[in-house]
Amino acid sequence: MIEAYFIHLAILVGIYLILALSLQLALGYTGLINLGHIAFFAIGAYVSALLTLSGIPFIIAILLAGVISALFGFLLSIPTNKLKGDYLALATLAFTFVIYAITLNWASLTRGPLGLPGIPKPSIFGLSFSSNLSFLILILVIVLAVYFLIKRIVYSPFGKVLEATRDNELATRVLGKNTFKIKSIALGASAFFAGIAGSLYAHYITYIDPSSFTIMQLIPILCIVIIGGLASLRGTIIATIILILLPEPLRFIGFPSSVVGPMRQIIYALILLLILIYRPKGFFGKVELE
Amino acid sequence: MSSIAFQLLINGLIAGAIYALVASGFSLIYSTNKFIHFAHGAVIAFSAYVLYFLFSILGINFGFSVVLAIIFASLLGYLLDIAVYKQLRKKKTSSVILLIASVGLLILLESLILLLFGADVKTIGFIKGSKGMEFLGAIITPLQIFIIITSIILLAGLFLFMKKTKLGKAMRAVSDNKDVAEIVGISSEKIYSWSFIIGSAIAGIAAILIGLEQNLEPTMGTNLMIKGFAAAIIGGIGSVHGAVLGAFLLGIVENFGIWYLPSGYKDAIAFVLLFIFLLFRPQGILRIKRRAEK
Repeated sequence: MIEAYFIHLAILVGIYLILALSLQLALGYTGLINLGHIAFFAIGAYVSALLTLSGIPFIIAILLAGVISALFGFLLSIPTNKLKGDYLALATLAFTFVIYAITLNWASLTRGPLGLPGIPKPSIFGLSFSSNLSFLILILVIVLAVYFLIKRIVYSPFGKVLEATRDNELATRVLGKNTFKIKSIALGASAFFAGIAGSLYAHYITYIDPSSFTIMQLIPILCIVIIGGLASLRGTIIATIILILLPEPLRFIGFPSSVVGPMRQIIYALILLLILIYRPKGFFGKVELE
Repeated sequence: MSSIAFQLLINGLIAGAIYALVASGFSLIYSTNKFIHFAHGAVIAFSAYVLYFLFSILGINFGFSVVLAIIFASLLGYLLDIAVYKQLRKKKTSSVILLIASVGLLILLESLILLLFGADVKTIGFIKGSKGMEFLGAIITPLQIFIIITSIILLAGLFLFMKKTKLGKAMRAVSDNKDVAEIVGISSEKIYSWSFIIGSAIAGIAAILIGLEQNLEPTMGTNLMIKGFAAAIIGGIGSVHGAVLGAFLLGIVENFGIWYLPSGYKDAIAFVLLFIFLLFRPQGILRIKRRAEK
């Protein structure tokens, strides 16, 4: 029983790790104030769920979930490329609401507020991941792959260009780099991984509905990235583990789940405010948001 | 004009009046503080719940409950400014951080409402079963007429306040150029606080009208904020009259939109308008000067 609970927590940490690391790529390394990350997560979850429900193998569904999310990221980046700071934050936040409204209202595709039940557990080439332990192993493999890919990206020359774009876009352009293209690629890549995380979430919970993808869900991820520190992968990992586990003791004190849910959000929101006021660089961050 | 079109126009005006109250308070705060106070919507939601608590649960006299709810809204706005935004301003943080903090506050307040009042829908029920009356072939309830009239009187009062009173003028001065205003002896910190107090009081009035017209839900603040915010962007952010113009435009477009679209997409219309304006005309209809691009 207690083992099952820890496996469940580890899987959650894994999904949030992918989400936070991918947001780090856009927000921390490229300096794009992207508040639309949950939208990419939602797109990934819905694409993957709908594809597997219509009989397409999981491995193709999860990849397509990433690719289609990336496509949306890329499309979103084209009109928003010129926007800076709070305007970019708002356009991406509006994007979250648009995707939410679509999942809620396009009922013939998404079944609207009823959600999609019975999403199959993943199986790859006949290898089934229906038990939680095997799912955890799958998540671990994917988290490691995502971590090394993102690490590879940010330590590559391209990663340095990303950071240069964040620190001084004009100077980067003077050096002959097409920063619009660079920002588009960064947002697309970030959305790709968020889509993968969405797919894993859908196949783990086996049920999704629009309420899983509201701005409420953005707060934990934003919190993780800011507390861990911008442009710090190590900080992100530590912050993910701490923040996902932090509200768990609430369950053992015996609060009903109707109290635990809002309490969790209150804890995250308070932590976010405190960190913004007292340590805006986060614990391992190298740069400050601007 | 057919009676359906006229009904849609009336519905648009009612929605617009509510959005205008949301947007004008928000815009007032934005104009002096120069950051997006997203938690404004949650202040409205919280005040509506306070009215529900005082009137429907404790059974306090309605008029007295209304006054208390408005005072509560003002105090809450002031408290948010002092406890969070002022601390951030002291460190000269950017408007992006303030925006993220305000999203955090929005979630904080909504979760508090959820914790205190539960997730189920609440009704204030002051006016029971008020019958609609026919007006040029359209149906409108007395409450809706009251909403439109109150919001027009309030907005007119706000204009006069901004134009004629010393405090209003000082607010416009800080909004225009903070440094120059400080040179002539206006304390910008004081003005920031005052704009929160007055803007949130308008939020309190909006909360009461909304609470009478609609059911209360914990997430209503986010929805209202999106509408109010979209209205402010459409009209030209930072200008109170722009926000009012945008609000009525949004209300009317939304209601005519569902003539062609399924009604579920009503909310999406606001997002789409918001998105279009952010991308193509971030200065709004009135072309308010502000750089969206550095």
